[in-house]
Amino acid sequence: MFASAHPRPPLSAELIAKVRPIALATTKTLPLGEPWREMVSGGALRRGTTTVVDAAPGQGGLSLALGLVGAASVKGHWVGVVGVDDPGVVAMTDLGVDLRRVLFVPRPRGAWAESTADLLDGVDLVIVRPPSIPAHGAVRKLMDRVRERGAVLIALSEPRSPWPLPADLSFKITHSEWRASSRLEGRQVTIVLGGRGSAHNTTEHIAMLPSALGKGEK
Amino acid sequence: MERLLAVWVEEIAAESPEGGTVRMNIALHEALTLLCPFTEIIRLGLFVLPVRGPSRFFGGEEAVLHAVLQCVFDVTSRRARVGVAEGLFCAELSAKAELVIAPGESDAFRRTQPLEVLGRKDLAATGHRLGIHSVGAFADIAPARIAERFNRHAFVLHRVARGELSEIPGQRDTSLTRRITRLNDSGESVREQLGFFGQRGAGEIRAEEAAKRVRHRLGPESIQVANVAAGRTPQDRTAMVPWGSPAAMRDSGAPWPGQVGHPSPVTALRHPITVQLRDEFDQPIRVGERGLLSATPAYIMFTPPQRRSITWHAGPWPLVERWWQQSRRRAQLQILLDGGEAMLLANENQAWWLTGIYD
Repeated sequence: MFASAHPRPPLSAELIAKVRPIALATTKTLPLGEPWREMVSGGALRRGTTTVVDAAPGQGGLSLALGLVGAASVKGHWVGVVGVDDPGVVAMTDLGVDLRRVLFVPRPRGAWAESTADLLDGVDLVIVRPPSIPAHGAVRKLMDRVRERGAVLIALSEPRSPWPLPADLSFKITHSEWRASSRLEGRQVTIVLGGRGSAHNTTEHIAMLPSALGKGEK
Repeated sequence: MERLLAVWVEEIAAESPEGGTVRMNIALHEALTLLCPFTEIIRLGLFVLPVRGPSRFFGGEEAVLHAVLQCVFDVTSRRARVGVAEGLFCAELSAKAELVIAPGESDAFRRTQPLEVLGRKDLAATGHRLGIHSVGAFADIAPARIAERFNRHAFVLHRVARGELSEIPGQRDTSLTRRITRLNDSGESVREQLGFFGQRGAGEIRAEEAAKRVRHRLGPESIQVANVAAGRTPQDRTAMVPWGSPAAMRDSGAPWPGQVGHPSPVTALRHPITVQLRDEFDQPIRVGERGLLSATPAYIMFTPPQRRSITWHAGPWPLVERWWQQSRRRAQLQILLDGGEAMLLANENQAWWLTGIYD
């Protein structure tokens, strides 16, 4: 007569609908791992906020975005990744992402904003890399959705597809340099951190990506 | 005293030998935590949540009670008994009686209860002999007289009866809370997201609903899940499967020769792109019989025609896969471009392919 003998019936849709918005003080943030925790005021990602990761292609923007969701995914939060075609799942694991709770929409084509909105309804964090220049209106709607749902949106902003609105938090990679000996070892990035509200003062940080450098080689 | 909603599910109150009851309790606790993050498991079958916060949200205590009953039924397929009163002791009694005690009325409610509810037969027996049959009558005895008539256990219970303490000894199973805390570990209130012992957590159910919407919008292959598979190249090791298809592969953890190792490219091209590799005299770079490059790579050419300088390279690392099969000689090479981008190339039959980008 115990649970695993009979699969547990899912919570009713009605109940789930009621459940979602109760984010009391302790659940108002999503955890950040190292080294991001030290950089961001409060040491966590606040629900309802949008973070922009601004970097030229190949400078580590995607790695940084994935690094930001790692700790939350390990702690049980679900993550959506929209517009990242051909994700390197080994690298994601190295960046600390728990792949068991990641949903990918690799090629959303014209419906990247709609798919992102769909995911925001059900997961806690969504990484989006718009495949084309994101329109002002679509972005505003998404950021409103994020606020309403209490999710966290991490948008990749690249020179060919810049995020058109100011975000609550922004990571701009201003410099990126690989460390290499007999092979690539890791990348040192210079990050300028800014944003609205409590994060309005920009600060500069240096981090290694992946941050768990050498972890897999012990 | 804090106004509490107590949930009593008698059928899961006794520990079963195979541990199923504990799992059921944990699953229910997890689900109730979604309704209110401050839900406590007091002992097997008994849960309480502070009622003021959630009732504001759900629009009154009635609605909270309804949501809780529904939740218990969804998770355990059992009917719960619920009640609301001030303090843990009264809250449990109210649940067993299925009563919502109006604010401020918990004292009166407690006083009407039979002496047995204090949980000690010896105390009840002594009380009855003295003509004391209710908690209220017991409470009315002057504290100084308690020692004359009852044993030492009566002191604490007398204070409970008088409403000075909110719970009776033994009401709370502290070892159970420790066991569950250990299982839940992290201590952060994100545990509601996780399913226990292979059961589906509420987070997964929500994610599934979202995934269905995306699939409905973009088609069956549009939403995917990933897993790390055993293999030598990032492509071999990237297993993307449509969401909802039978489970993906597992990483065997075996060491694979020719695996370039950490870090791995964040983009692992499913369909590698053909590229040309040239030396400084614009001659094609070849991989020799002994696995060495014919010259130092200086340029990479992409199609459509785009030429970039290579500032550094490492490798080639031969892939000793299917070594008996002469036609499949593969090697991998890491390169850095003048713009600082890092890429992973593969060579097969003297053709170069871009297979990974370290973004």
